[in-house]
Amino acid sequence: MLARGRALVLAGALCLLAAAGPARADEAFVTNQQSDDVSVVDLETATVVATIPVGGKPAGVAVSPDGSRAYVTSPEGKVVTVIDAAARTVVARIPIEGGPVGIVLSPDAAWLYVADWFNNAILVIDTASNAVVASIPVGRAPAGMAITPDGRTLLSCDRDDDRLSVVDLATRKVTGTIPVGTHPFAVTIAPDGKRAYAANVMSNDVSVVDLAGRREITRVPVGDTPYGIALAGTRAFVTDQHADTVTVFDTGTLQTVATIDTPSFPEGIETARDGRKVWAAAWGDDAFFSIDVETLEVADEVDVGTGPRAFGAFIRRTTSR
Amino acid sequence: MKSLLWALVAGAVALVPVVAEAHGPTRQKIEVTREIDAPADKVWAVVSNFQDLSWIPGVKSVEGSGSEVGATRTITLENGEKLVEKMDKFDAAKMMFMYRAEADNIKFLPVTNYSSRITVKDAGGKSTVTWWGAFYRGYPNNDPPPELSDEAAVKAVTDLYNAGLDGLKKKVEGGS
Repeated sequence: MLARGRALVLAGALCLLAAAGPARADEAFVTNQQSDDVSVVDLETATVVATIPVGGKPAGVAVSPDGSRAYVTSPEGKVVTVIDAAARTVVARIPIEGGPVGIVLSPDAAWLYVADWFNNAILVIDTASNAVVASIPVGRAPAGMAITPDGRTLLSCDRDDDRLSVVDLATRKVTGTIPVGTHPFAVTIAPDGKRAYAANVMSNDVSVVDLAGRREITRVPVGDTPYGIALAGTRAFVTDQHADTVTVFDTGTLQTVATIDTPSFPEGIETARDGRKVWAAAWGDDAFFSIDVETLEVADEVDVGTGPRAFGAFIRRTTSR
Repeated sequence: MKSLLWALVAGAVALVPVVAEAHGPTRQKIEVTREIDAPADKVWAVVSNFQDLSWIPGVKSVEGSGSEVGATRTITLENGEKLVEKMDKFDAAKMMFMYRAEADNIKFLPVTNYSSRITVKDAGGKSTVTWWGAFYRGYPNNDPPPELSDEAAVKAVTDLYNAGLDGLKKKVEGGS
């Protein structure tokens, strides 16, 4: 009884603290493929504040825009895990037949799109029911995806076909393909929806794609084995996995601005909501780090689980602002 | 039944192009470290010669030239299997180099998209050598046979690094 009473008092005190305290920092949900879990990193203090067991070799992640849910793909476990992001608990498991890797949410969070690496399809999941409701055939080994800000169009990196598939999300059909460099793995769309940038892991460059014209404009050379792209202001930050660098190029001039040494095997990368830092997973060093977009130097580095991938939208807002 | 399955799998794998193409979804990494009773520069001189693998048991020959970035070597094992590797990064100041397999050969090593890094560090007059590898399992699709599973890949590379570093230690400490 006594212990229970204390717990209640403590819980009450914590509620008061939470209500009166300052706005909390954003977080990152970092998938650790080899340790089978997700590290939750507080981005203000750059510390791990929670570890959520997931299983099945988690790789892809999509955090909902309101910060309530994190969806994680486990290609070996053949499952998408639904996490209550605030409670740090697994609330559902969605079985997937093939090898779920890439994952992206529609801007309104109503639909979840999962790339099936082995069956060459994008699966459509209704987030209200967590049921797979459709399968959209695309090219071989679909990996990263991105959706235009208007929510109408999805791009899929058809890795082994060296192209992007353009999917109309209303009809759930491929309406075209765009040839890019060799083995595109990740794609990022500019906030204005006009351009897409695809990281070509085998040709060591980034394809700059004009979305209205549905064509590749040019390729920007980057470091060895580019794996992810984050846009911050007028710059693109590209993780060069084998070079242990991030290449920064200007999206206007398409000229390289800097090549920044980073922890080993940088992979998934995303821009902080305030635009001041980009955050990335370093698979080789079991680390998660940031780069200050002004100084172009590594600003934070935190140890996470083993083999972090953070492939997708991993930053979570913790407030409504 | 198992041998039939294995034959089917082997047939399917044989159809896969030899260049680093499709691979499984889960990259593996391992790291093996040895302390060697010799100065770091002496150990570095041996391991950084990209064309000399005499310290690894089971290697019959190495063909190629140079240790600079872009240099390649063709390794032939005593069982006749070959693998071509290419130097990706070479940093003498940090005593670190990185290389990767140009194409997969799962009979050489049951892995795909293999890359590796060797680092030598001074440890108070002795040396610490770290051999690090990143790779996918030999079977590129779902539900691999045990011979080409993640576990088999990790074991094969771990065994190679252990045997290699034991051989390196013996060669350097033995003064040969």
